[in-house]
Amino acid sequence: MPSAETSAPARPLLAIRGLRKSFGATEILKGVDLDVRQGEVVSIIGSSGSGKTTLLRCVNLLEEFQGGEVLLDGEPVGYREQAGRRLRLKDRDLARQRAQTGMVFQSFNLFPHLSAAGNVMLGLRKVKGMGKAEARAVAERWLARVGLAERADHAPSQLSGGQQQRVAIARALAMEPKLVLLDEITSALDPELVGEVLATVKALAGEGATLLLVTHEMRFARDVSNTVVFMEKGLVAERGPPGDLFGNPRHPRLIEFLRGTRDH
Amino acid sequence: MDDLITEAWDARDVILGGLLQTLSISALAIVLGTLLGVLVGVALVYGAWPLRLAARAYADVMRGTPVLVLVLAAFYMPAVLGLHLQPFAAGVLALTLFCGAHIGELIRGALGSIPRGQTEAAKAVGLTFFGVLAHVLLPQALRSLLPPWINTCVEMVKASTLLSVIGVGELLLRTQEIIGRNFMTLQFYLLVGALYLVVNFAIEQAGKALERRVAFR
Ligand SMILES: Nc1ncnc2c1ncn2[C@@H]1O[C@H](COP(=O)(O)OP(=O)(O)OP(=O)(O)O)[C@@H](O)[C@H]1O
Ligand SMILES: [Mg+2]
Repeated sequence: MPSAETSAPARPLLAIRGLRKSFGATEILKGVDLDVRQGEVVSIIGSSGSGKTTLLRCVNLLEEFQGGEVLLDGEPVGYREQAGRRLRLKDRDLARQRAQTGMVFQSFNLFPHLSAAGNVMLGLRKVKGMGKAEARAVAERWLARVGLAERADHAPSQLSGGQQQRVAIARALAMEPKLVLLDEITSALDPELVGEVLATVKALAGEGATLLLVTHEMRFARDVSNTVVFMEKGLVAERGPPGDLFGNPRHPRLIEFLRGTRDH
Repeated sequence: MDDLITEAWDARDVILGGLLQTLSISALAIVLGTLLGVLVGVALVYGAWPLRLAARAYADVMRGTPVLVLVLAAFYMPAVLGLHLQPFAAGVLALTLFCGAHIGELIRGALGSIPRGQTEAAKAVGLTFFGVLAHVLLPQALRSLLPPWINTCVEMVKASTLLSVIGVGELLLRTQEIIGRNFMTLQFYLLVGALYLVVNFAIEQAGKALERRVAFR
């Protein structure tokens, strides 16, 4: 499908530089460097505990990090420098920056007190300040795009896992984020529901959305990505176009990892 | 029986006045106590430690003190400080403080039982802390809180009888005054008991209707 390295703009949309993150005394991310260009789809693979989720959470400012920087469209997120000191931004600024990235979670995390449309509308109304009618129209458009036009007024509890996850995707994308983060969004789904969600993501990728995703679905990673990144012990161990990474892996841990996954 | 009906009819204005007092005391204490309780609950869960500590101390002291003591304290203590509260105001203050502590604990529990993913999803959408609280956490907390909240409302109506000791002319005190005149002790206590029962039954029914309306579908 999409081929990498076509008309690369000078500046990546997302630039992660030397990112370090510890939980207590344990360093989880040990200097991660990663670029995502506008319109690119980057898949992160790697064994459990290698820090993939933590990396996405740092990008979306759900975790604090101790070193390095994350630049979104050139703007450092999460922290500012003042007199040589690194200070966490205030709640309001963090919220503004978070609104520029969308996030889809493994466990959907739909708001149970709101309908499908209500879930999509909340950010449009309260963050973007849209009027009710306009937000509703946008929500309906996005629900239609993920194939759920008929389910707009259903409560999350009335939807299947796959449908809930597609609402979550609509909720993230309706905000028109510059970048969408997806963390193992099919892991909590019954096998027969995985396909519909992956097809939705594939369609979005085809329409030019910039995606940074973590997945255990190797075939999906190969199909959808421009770039695949292999993380190992808190570092990017190897990266490249999916053909190279899956076809000609070099890092011994990657070779081992791919041998362990059945469907690549 | 005829006597009771005649006596009750003669005393209808007094009884009705007492009932209205009881209802307004309870309503005020519930509304103010709920607002206070939301603040206390949020402080207990998200407050910086000095605030959390203060909220914890407040909640524990209030819940550990008999309501009658609170009522007497609210009436007599401000006077020591040169502040004179009317019995009505003092009574409402005491019940509000009591109610706030209870609701605060309820809110704390309800907020604590909401999965972390809810906060994270709301933050990811771009909501600020107060946005997350107002649009995602509190609406969910209040729903799960509805049954115990209704219970608290009923408790407040019952607790309002304690205001009779500081001379607030609520239903119980008025009834006692009537009994003082006609000595129909048993009959009037039964009558007033039935009135409290009706009020609390109405609250419970209203609560159930509300629960049905806001239940997650
Ligand atoms: N809140 C936390 N507190 C302490 N340690 C944590 C926390 N979250 C994650 N970790 C640790 O950080 C490491 C990396 O976790 P992370 O969830 O990022 O891995 P992952 O690559 O996403 O794994 P998986 O494939 O299983 O999802 C793990 O060792 C985990 O135990
Ligand atoms: Mg993970």
